Amino acid sequence: MFPIIEIGPLAIQAAGFILLISFWLSTWLTGKFSSALGTNGDVIENSLLLGLLAGILGARVGFMLQNFEVFYSNPISLFSLTPSMLNPAFGVLVGVLVAFILSQKNHLPLWATLDTLSPLLLVFFIGFQIANLANGEVYGLPTQAPWSINLWGASRHPVQIYTLLLVFILLIWFIVKTKTLKSTGFMRNGLLFCFTLSGLSLITIFARSFVDKKILVAGVDLLQLVGVITLISCLFIIYKKLFQPLHEAPVHISMGSNQSADHLINALAVLKSEFSIIRTSRIYVTQDVKKDPPSSEFFNQVVEISTTLPYSQLRKKLKSIEQQFGRVPGNKIVVPLDLDIITYHQEVFEYHGSHIPDPNLIKYRYIAEPIAEMDPGFRHPANGKSIGAILQKIPDHSMLNIWNKVKNGTKE
Amino acid sequence: MKRSRFIILSIAITLVSIAWMSFTPLIFPSAEDTPKISAPHPGFPAPSFNLEVFNGDSLSLSDLKGQPVLIFFWASWCSVCKRTMPGLQSVYEEFHERGFEILAINSTFQDTLPSAVSYYESQNYTFPLLIDLDGIVTQDYQVRALPTSVLLNSDGIVVNVVIGAGLSEAYLSTQIRELLSINE
Repeated sequence: MFPIIEIGPLAIQAAGFILLISFWLSTWLTGKFSSALGTNGDVIENSLLLGLLAGILGARVGFMLQNFEVFYSNPISLFSLTPSMLNPAFGVLVGVLVAFILSQKNHLPLWATLDTLSPLLLVFFIGFQIANLANGEVYGLPTQAPWSINLWGASRHPVQIYTLLLVFILLIWFIVKTKTLKSTGFMRNGLLFCFTLSGLSLITIFARSFVDKKILVAGVDLLQLVGVITLISCLFIIYKKLFQPLHEAPVHISMGSNQSADHLINALAVLKSEFSIIRTSRIYVTQDVKKDPPSSEFFNQVVEISTTLPYSQLRKKLKSIEQQFGRVPGNKIVVPLDLDIITYHQEVFEYHGSHIPDPNLIKYRYIAEPIAEMDPGFRHPANGKSIGAILQKIPDHSMLNIWNKVKNGTKE
Repeated sequence: MKRSRFIILSIAITLVSIAWMSFTPLIFPSAEDTPKISAPHPGFPAPSFNLEVFNGDSLSLSDLKGQPVLIFFWASWCSVCKRTMPGLQSVYEEFHERGFEILAINSTFQDTLPSAVSYYESQNYTFPLLIDLDGIVTQDYQVRALPTSVLLNSDGIVVNVVIGAGLSEAYLSTQIRELLSINE
């Protein structure tokens, strides 16, 4: 048992302190993971914090509504700074609702955001177990096992220790899969979150059996029931995301050439013969913003296609089109045609070192401006920011001009 | 992983989980509804004690069977305790007639008897002041901070333990209303 920490009139039990630490640690990890994935860390952290505050307020208001007559005669006590007088279920409801509304308002993409929250889920689950261990809540059944712990007048199963040992395995899987919080480790969003949640559900289903006081509903433990329902839902989502054939979905491709605008016109014709085209921007003339090594002006265009082709095959196909136009890999001085996948099916992932959405989308005007021109309603698939907001923050100040065949072109 | 292998594995995991959940109440039955062992923790019978009241009588917890009881551990140097006690007094006045009892146990082994008594008398509290001279009851109740409040239902089962300042008048009032089943 841990001691009690006294801060002024508040005696925070070790459990509360552990929960606070795990909240801090998990939001910090979420921020780190978010910047690696390119999701909107600031908005996610703010939504979490406001959700927590709203949750605490909601828990107090819920308790008040439950005990209305007491507060009616003593309304000041509604604001008393004590950890009692909370209705946790109501608080969770209000907190989740507020966080959800905030995420919707900021157009956060659902699955990429949930993936970002996976480390939070793990760390908070661990914190919750340690907190319960510290204050002796959720104690185990009496047992003669040599590893039993003495608690509340009996030798009992150390339920939280079982749980923590199993979570440790899940944690190792998580660290390996995400390459220590560098990527989600999957080509589709939501898989990391669903696998993590399935793991936690399995652990809960197993460990709850050793808890002494179970919450029985229709003959089974309530938390085990919630675990089984969560597990089945997660496995179903995982199945759909892993094995269902891909639907037609949009892909943004940035085309570039430092040789001739005609290459872009011809490449677009090739793409048209292979894919259905949703939108095309006009052709732009840009100074090569990378300037390494310095080269002449670039012709750029963005095209949005629709395809069911898996990412790796699409990438191969685009490379072969590049080669048809005489592209020599490694030659950065003569670039007849460059085809880069900027977004793929609204997903956020890493594949052989390439990040999707392409990080250049928020760095260079030659990608962002054509997108803004052809689709002003475009939003970044990872962080939900509008193309207008991306252009306002863009660090690149190179000049883009719309290419005009008569003025700029060499043909008459 | 192949599609068919994933489906078989998923179904297997789901079935094992459902079986484990269904047989849990049989293989790992919870102990009887009310444990026999006493402990200062919700769900357990409260540890029994017999203490001296400051005016010389003695009082045993078992005398109060059938009444909801608040056991309040305090000391005269503890400012949070002294800020909490007026609230206890008003809840006591409201519900004592319906059977609610408060035992204010002074942790005398970490206090001095004269200062405890003089504070108690100066405030005109009407709930009884108990003297835990050697600290045995404080120890039995695993009191790790003052004040610690232990609320018992009329069967002598602990229903709530509040450590520190959490026991406001409003909160205690809601708890007692629940224990006395008052729904006004």
